[in-house]
Amino acid sequence: MSEDRVKEGWDPKIAAIVCNWCTYAGADLAGISRIQYPPNVRIIRVPCTGRINPFYIVRALQEGADGVLVSGCHPGECHYITGNLSARRKFAMLKIFLDYLGLEADRTTFTWCSASEGERFAKVVSGVTERVRQLGPAKKLVKSL
Amino acid sequence: MEAIEKKLREEAKKLLEEKKVDVIVGYEAGTLPLTAAPAFVTDPSDTTKLVWNALCVQNLAKYVHDVVSQHRNAQKRVKPENRTKKVVGVVGRGCTTRSIILHLQERQYTREEIVVLGVPCRGYVDKKKLSVLLEGQEIVHGALDGERLKVTTAAGDRIVAVADVLADNCLICRFNNPVISDLMAGEPAPAMRSDEEYDAVKAFESRPSEERWAYFEKEMAKCIRCYACRQACPSCYCPECFAEQSRPRWVGIGEDASDTQVFQIMRIFHMAGRCVDCGSCVAVCPMGVDLRTFLKKLDKDAYELFGSRVGASLDDPPVLSTYREHECEDFIYNP
Repeated sequence: MSEDRVKEGWDPKIAAIVCNWCTYAGADLAGISRIQYPPNVRIIRVPCTGRINPFYIVRALQEGADGVLVSGCHPGECHYITGNLSARRKFAMLKIFLDYLGLEADRTTFTWCSASEGERFAKVVSGVTERVRQLGPAKKLVKSL
Repeated sequence: MEAIEKKLREEAKKLLEEKKVDVIVGYEAGTLPLTAAPAFVTDPSDTTKLVWNALCVQNLAKYVHDVVSQHRNAQKRVKPENRTKKVVGVVGRGCTTRSIILHLQERQYTREEIVVLGVPCRGYVDKKKLSVLLEGQEIVHGALDGERLKVTTAAGDRIVAVADVLADNCLICRFNNPVISDLMAGEPAPAMRSDEEYDAVKAFESRPSEERWAYFEKEMAKCIRCYACRQACPSCYCPECFAEQSRPRWVGIGEDASDTQVFQIMRIFHMAGRCVDCGSCVAVCPMGVDLRTFLKKLDKDAYELFGSRVGASLDDPPVLSTYREHECEDFIYNP
């Protein structure tokens, strides 16, 4: 199936799980400021990065996302004080673990982006899209049905 | 070993007679040759059936949790003024006590509800290794004689050294003596080869990514999703497992290979900073899936990134339930 996707002019699909208070507002700012960024991200808004179950990321990869982007408030700026600090530990381990299993490390990306960083959000999305494009369509862990 | 067993029975009997504990969770001889099964002793005269030897495989912390939570649930139907506490005595070797520490840290029960009868551990016999050595012959009769196993199969009698069939996780065990104990039966056991603890993981890490994925796929293809690993795991105690949840349905129940992979990835990842490497999951796996290669990696990461080993001390919280202000910033993407 993935080979067909290449033939048809495959374009990466990226699930962006972002926190309501910083990155979502940052994405909003990018939009308001009319900053151009690739249309490959599908934004999923969650209250806080600490709320993201590692399962979301694994499931997104299984359901056919070519890349997953997780972004929240910068450390120390979390709306819930420490949500992103707990999340950081969790994701640090998850990223290393997925790489260890043999899934491409660049498919999962973690970053911070505040509400005032519309410019940065656009850069992150461009960078991630480019990285995922280099990897090609996801083949591992993808559900075939 | 006999001396330890004798002391263990005496102490267990004393605890039950003095009513310091309501039940002792220990091991008894299994119904099949060369096996031991978990035993729940409530009568002091039954303590003679307790055993402690190299055939005791399962991590008993699982059963402690079961007994305590069952009792708690039963107490819900009792008037508050009539509620009782149940004190569980447990035969605890190193990994069992580490699991107990994890349970205590995760507030599953309190320290007053358990009495740990510490035992030194020299490792347990891996049934699969023994089976390979016996070329798959069924064990008709077997006896443990000190450091040797006397095995009778259809092909004849054999003597196998316990040291040759010890489980992989026991060979590199760092905590083969109880971390916490109220009573101790016997002298501390000699250290195992804990400096080689992460050798297997390091070897796996150095293989190319495609090979690692191929290995993971191959191992998970064996899995029949019987969930025995989860049932045996002392850290898997959720009242409802994600594998069975239907709202949301986290993992598909079809025969798609990716569903099994996702189930295993998530079960293994739930062990991040929680796996004590007791080997119970591997021991009960009917298909011989290599889970330890992946579980041990999380243990290694937790130690290398956060400097903490699960259940090494009561004051050292599980890695994912705490944080530091500045740490592991190198994985954050900066365009």
